[in-house]
Amino acid sequence: MAGLSDDAQWIVMMGFVVSLSFFFLALLLNQSTVVGQTTAESVLDFPKNDIRDVRSVMIQSAELNATGQITGGQYATIQNDIQTLSLSEKKAVVQYQIINTNPVWLSIHYNNGVTSYNETYVSP
Amino acid sequence: MVNDLGQLFTIEGVAASMIMLFTTYLVLGATTVYTPGDSHISDMQLEQIGTDALNMMNTPSNCTSTSCVSTLQQIVSETDTNLSAANSTFNMIFLNYVNNRTESMSDNLHYEANITFRDTTDGPNSTTISSYYLASNRNLNGVEHPVRVTEWVIIGPPNFPGIILPPGAHYIAQPRAVLVEVLLWRD
Amino acid sequence: MIDDAGNLSIDFLVGFTIFMITLIYVATLIPTLFIGLKSNSIDYDAVAYRTGVILAEDPGMPYNPSWETLPNTSDSDILRFGLALSKDTPNILTPEKITRFFCTSEFVYPSDYQTRAVFGDYPYQFNISLQMAGSNVTQSIGDVLPDQDYGYSRRVIKVKEHSNATLDFSNFNVISGQPASNLPLGIYTQNATNQAFSVYFNYSYLLTSGPGYNNLAYQINPLAPSGANGIIGGEGALINLTGLQYLPQNTGGVDTTVNLSSISIYKSQSEAPIGTGQLPFVGPELNSTNPTQFLLYIDGNTTPVTQLPYPVGSNISLFIPPGLLSFMGGGDSSTLLNITMQFNLTDGNGNPQSDWYLNSTQVMPDGAFEYNYTNPNITQPQLVDGVMDVAVW
Repeated sequence: MAGLSDDAQWIVMMGFVVSLSFFFLALLLNQSTVVGQTTAESVLDFPKNDIRDVRSVMIQSAELNATGQITGGQYATIQNDIQTLSLSEKKAVVQYQIINTNPVWLSIHYNNGVTSYNETYVSP
Repeated sequence: MVNDLGQLFTIEGVAASMIMLFTTYLVLGATTVYTPGDSHISDMQLEQIGTDALNMMNTPSNCTSTSCVSTLQQIVSETDTNLSAANSTFNMIFLNYVNNRTESMSDNLHYEANITFRDTTDGPNSTTISSYYLASNRNLNGVEHPVRVTEWVIIGPPNFPGIILPPGAHYIAQPRAVLVEVLLWRD
Repeated sequence: MIDDAGNLSIDFLVGFTIFMITLIYVATLIPTLFIGLKSNSIDYDAVAYRTGVILAEDPGMPYNPSWETLPNTSDSDILRFGLALSKDTPNILTPEKITRFFCTSEFVYPSDYQTRAVFGDYPYQFNISLQMAGSNVTQSIGDVLPDQDYGYSRRVIKVKEHSNATLDFSNFNVISGQPASNLPLGIYTQNATNQAFSVYFNYSYLLTSGPGYNNLAYQINPLAPSGANGIIGGEGALINLTGLQYLPQNTGGVDTTVNLSSISIYKSQSEAPIGTGQLPFVGPELNSTNPTQFLLYIDGNTTPVTQLPYPVGSNISLFIPPGLLSFMGGGDSSTLLNITMQFNLTDGNGNPQSDWYLNSTQVMPDGAFEYNYTNPNITQPQLVDGVMDVAVW
């Protein structure tokens, strides 16, 4: 190998340098077009409105129970409704239990497979 | 005068050009041009508008200690006794919320709404889910790209004695939680 | 290769030429990579969405005391705009925050709004508009919307309107010697030269017995926004007295002139009903002939009254701004605060003349008209629809 001439290696070297810079450029450009998409997808993915909605309906049913406007049996029916519908329609496991009736003290659990939410709600 | 001592330069030059051409075509083929639809931004905007509209429909405008009922609760309860009135009320109010803009031109969104409930004709612990039609202003025919938004509604006390679920079939004289589901799309 | 003959070999030239031609060709292909790329426009929708969420769902920073109550000189203390009533009531906005946000004489577009609502390093142009249902008026800040693409976010909102107490005396009639029977609930008139009409707020009742399980959206709360114990979500209270010209009976044959002589505020730490030997309210905390801290309109004038005493004809409209009474109550939520209007009745020449007029000192149980959730003369806070558009480009 010592006898082979390496005088023209700089041409190939320039070729390599130019190629590598193209790769780098392509990487940058590819990442930048994804910015808008990932923002929208993460907004769609995070179930903010679902959690707020199901939480408010749980609290409402617990308050109705605490003020005696619905009986314990009716409250259990509503609880069953929420859990069953949530699993089949919203694809989320939802559970809540009343820790104390008056003032309302509620433990809420929500999990849709991607996001998990737990709360202990105390009526203000 | 002519010998082959300089072949090296030619070969190296050709090799370098091959490398550059190959890389370029690789790079040009790898980056893509995103259209707005690919990025789901319009889906996000539609979902935002839809959930806002349903949320506001389910917030009572007036709430006193004796009466604190939202528009959506009234509409869902009315599906039992007068489905066509519930249909037109929901249609008017929902479209108003969803198409109103601050500029003078209204938006042009379409929807189809259903009410989904747990059917307890087989017993109180039944897990059968059924749904019935609430309202729509355009029929879905498969080419639209709709977004689904939902809202929980408790119907029953303290102002309504409970509704027949499904309407006209089996009377359930107690309060229930139902899910109002709306498919929303833009032409 | 290096010698001083000055020739380059042909092979070298060929190789180098091939390389250069390829390089030039490839370099002209590169701009096609940039076709779909406008980095700033990619996130217009994301920035508009974020701004929409900040304005519609966040109450702003500072939160306690609330940012819209800071004086004009402390604009730099406002860290973030947010129009929502509270974190627990998203999409429900308050009129005070909306008015302060859209005050273009105080905040400059785009710099003030960029740092407090839109955020980001890039100098976006934007337009934020709000319109209430049933109204043609659109409040907006920012540039005119462009024709080309812009990112937008639309929010459906409700605005919490103030409560008000409206007492109408147009149907007043007195049976001689007897107090009138067809008056609004709890009001008692009597024959005297100095009359006092009081409205009182029982905060511990107002803050714990609200409708909708004490939902802030329906709560009457003139104490906040700077109350103690994290009490937030304050609003104003409005008292309208109409038909007052029918009250004086002019029994002496001379027309009675009525002057509103002062507005005073009294305080009590507990209810002490009439007849228990205790004065329900002590004070006054404030005895003012300068009503400018309230907004007092008499007889339909569009400019507020600035100096008392002032003659009263047919109606009085008193607006108590949010947070005003928290100062009087020392920020204590168990306080009862009483706002009393004193009236002097005279004949045309300034001599005292006794006549029938508005007087609540005998109202049971506390000697004042209670501003509460159940009185039919009080219109409760209600939520009015609206829509807010955010456009960014």
